[in-house]
Amino acid sequence: MATRFSNWLDARTGWRNIWDGIFLRKVPKVNWLYTLGSASLFIVVNQVVTGILLTIYYVPTPDHAYDSVQYITTQVALGWLIRGLHHWGASAMVVVVFLHMLRVIFLGSYKFPREVTWFSGVVLFLVVIGFGFTGYLLPWDEKAYWATTVGTQIAGTPPLIGDLALRILRGGEGLTAMTLARFFGIHIWVLPAILLGLVGLHVYLVIKHGISTTPKRGENNHE
Amino acid sequence: MSEESDLSRRKFLEKATMGIGGALTVLFGIPAAIFVVKPVLKKEEGSGWMRLGSISKVTPGTPTLFSLKVERETGWITDQDEIMVYVYTEDGRDYAVMSNICTHLACRVRWIEERQEFFCPCHNGVYDKQGNVLAGPPPRPLDRYEFKVENEDIYIKVG
Repeated sequence: MATRFSNWLDARTGWRNIWDGIFLRKVPKVNWLYTLGSASLFIVVNQVVTGILLTIYYVPTPDHAYDSVQYITTQVALGWLIRGLHHWGASAMVVVVFLHMLRVIFLGSYKFPREVTWFSGVVLFLVVIGFGFTGYLLPWDEKAYWATTVGTQIAGTPPLIGDLALRILRGGEGLTAMTLARFFGIHIWVLPAILLGLVGLHVYLVIKHGISTTPKRGENNHE
Repeated sequence: MSEESDLSRRKFLEKATMGIGGALTVLFGIPAAIFVVKPVLKKEEGSGWMRLGSISKVTPGTPTLFSLKVERETGWITDQDEIMVYVYTEDGRDYAVMSNICTHLACRVRWIEERQEFFCPCHNGVYDKQGNVLAGPPPRPLDRYEFKVENEDIYIKVG
């Protein structure tokens, strides 16, 4: 029955080719540092799932944001767990993605033909920082408020464009309901859209090229 | 390494991937379901007996509208809910204390004086003075409140 169904589906979608392409790749003998990319992907899934769940109770306005976060943490069943996973996942994401990048640099995996994988990874890293920056404001507590005051103020320091940058970030001159609303919009719509697109490209390229081998002692590129 | 052990290694990894993937799905899925569903199962606490108003306001022969403000906890917000109640008496001894919520799909009914009927504008439900269905889709008469009269005041039980 299951085989018949998967044959039926394969005849219409060709999913087996895709499946095999993803999972039956040749993998060179590498070390555990090469799992940091998969670890990042796993944290992405964690952040997406818990983030979607949090939006069910969270309300991004100054009069409700703090209370709704308190409600999630103290009243909703397992709210502490879902919020905790999102909170700690965010920190873990920055750490793991950074280590992933270091691995790629030190083992030379960014070289031909994987430059585009590297470029998309660099943008992904910036997107992760953006997630951290915008997500930090959402609990709307003292720490969030003042951290974002300082962060957006820094954006206001460059000459000529500084004032405009600060206004665009804050949605006006001060840190207000406008700021909270646009940070929320950026955090749950803009950045996820960019992230998912780039993750798709990034993973596609990893599958296309296969993962790089570890550099061997004594080898050099001129040979 | 022989062909056979190579194959079993592959099978093992396949099983392990499926197993760990499945376990993670369950590990996320169950808390997610609890997170979404459990808070909605919480029963709203009734406010108990509340004073509706003076019984002398009720004109015999005409349903009289009373309103009552009730505080309700919804999530992190304490809301003021307004309950609308029609009180009807024919003889000043027997009273019918009716909710204005249509029994069809919960729109609000209103008393139409000229037609001497309750009318629900959503799907043309019609009730008589006592709340019995005259026409339209409502499946049962208007709901009645449990009530009591003390010192010329009428009280209803808000649950």
